[in-house]
Amino acid sequence: MAKGKTGGRPGGARGPKSLRTYLDLIRDDPAEFRTVSRTVNPMNFDVTGLLGVLNARREYPTVQFNNPLDMRGKPSKFPIVTNLWGTRERCAEMVGLKRSEAGVRLGTLLCERIDRKQKPVVIPGRAAPVQQNVLTGKKADLWMFPVVRHFEMDLGGVMLMGLIAKPPREDFYNITFVKVFPEEPQRAGLTVHTLHMSRILREWEARKERCRVAYVLGHHPAFWLGTLNNTPWGDNEYATCGGFLQEPVRLTPSVTWGRDFLVPADAEIVIEGEIIPGERTVVNPFGDISTQYQAQQLGPVMVPKAVTYRDGAIYQDVFSGHREHMLLGSIPREGTIYNQLKHKMGIVTAVHMPYSGCARFTAYVSIKKTEEGQAKTAGLQALAHVPNLNAVVVVDETVDVFNEEEVLWAVNFQVEPRRDITVIENLRPTSDPRAMGAARVIIDATRPTHIAFPTKLKVPQSAMDRMKLDEWLDPVKAAAAKGGAR
Amino acid sequence: MSGGMRLWWSTCPKCRKEFVVAWELRHAKYKLICPYCDHRYLPDESARIDERHTD
Repeated sequence: MAKGKTGGRPGGARGPKSLRTYLDLIRDDPAEFRTVSRTVNPMNFDVTGLLGVLNARREYPTVQFNNPLDMRGKPSKFPIVTNLWGTRERCAEMVGLKRSEAGVRLGTLLCERIDRKQKPVVIPGRAAPVQQNVLTGKKADLWMFPVVRHFEMDLGGVMLMGLIAKPPREDFYNITFVKVFPEEPQRAGLTVHTLHMSRILREWEARKERCRVAYVLGHHPAFWLGTLNNTPWGDNEYATCGGFLQEPVRLTPSVTWGRDFLVPADAEIVIEGEIIPGERTVVNPFGDISTQYQAQQLGPVMVPKAVTYRDGAIYQDVFSGHREHMLLGSIPREGTIYNQLKHKMGIVTAVHMPYSGCARFTAYVSIKKTEEGQAKTAGLQALAHVPNLNAVVVVDETVDVFNEEEVLWAVNFQVEPRRDITVIENLRPTSDPRAMGAARVIIDATRPTHIAFPTKLKVPQSAMDRMKLDEWLDPVKAAAAKGGAR
Repeated sequence: MSGGMRLWWSTCPKCRKEFVVAWELRHAKYKLICPYCDHRYLPDESARIDERHTD
């Protein structure tokens, strides 16, 4: 992204923030945005095949596929855009930070934004871009979309964006990423993994009433970052998303239920649907965040009531189990842990959830330790506030938690297993349905202070500071001439 | 308390490829769907079942 262009609205992008205003900010930078104009069949792995090759090259641009096929194998009118959150630096820019602030600051900023809620505004449907095109009845067809089949063992194509729902007797909206399996043009299975959305569905089901939902395929990436935080039950996530967008989310009455259910006016595509109480269908396998397949299981059933979309709408997808999927969840959680430790202990210096733990299941926490026992306490705090964690490794502030080599050095040389590894048993299994147990582990990899202990070697900083390589190293050609280049 | 979600592996009777299934479908009346060939069959019709599990 060019200097000075951030997730705000510099560079002349006008109008309320949306997916397209964001893409306008990156589309001229080939390191951040690439296009594919040849026809691609997303159900035949053309999309994830290309992303997989880029990933293997350690390149993570957002990619727009301009000519995908739909689920029937016919040309789709909707281009696909995917891999938006592929780097921490891009995520930083989405929320108005500099690329150099993509470390600890990014996580803490996201936590601050949770408290900067902005009340959404409601505009009439005729002014809402997302209702420029409205399809109802049999025209509300899920197979018209270029749904992506991501991985070899996936059950089929899966939509990977956000579901919006309200509980029966309360007036707030919850938004969460939900997988949608369009098994028929007008019927889809779902998998839901968050506590609040699961509770909303249970409450509607207990009343034997259909749960009204809106499934949003495409919005500004900062909107989605606002949906990923551990906010309390009752939090209106449209207001939270406004805090992340730094402007109110514009809402509009849904086509199906009017003002009783509001939908994002600046989304690309909205599927208005209902979840049928008591009905289940077979969903999965699907390659998810743990980079393993989720098992075939039963999921609730959604039927579409209306499909609405902007002129020139873009279908947004996520490269599941890869960098963007990992970063989407890890950055807000890093901020959550950092803030909790800062408020309760005051000794945290950095938090990182590494890719090796799929950015969900392991946290590296550095602290400014003053006494023994603080590391375990910090680990317990982290586990308490991010239930998905399997392992917390606590290191000293001198260890860079974003450098896994340094963290594992500390584990290798500062951990006495019988003393420093604590297993906490009989907790709730993590929400990711792996065949793993219900225990967690805290590893105290800080340098012991209660016993005489070796110190890590160090070249004097003053010596390194005085080294100007081009002054001290012989020029390459001269070295080669002396036979030193063998 | 038990461990995480219990899994089992079903081998499709048609294409003979195997895939992972949650335990809730092991004795349910729902037909499994083979992700490779789309064949639908009851769990007990699997060509092979691997339900090894430890608590």
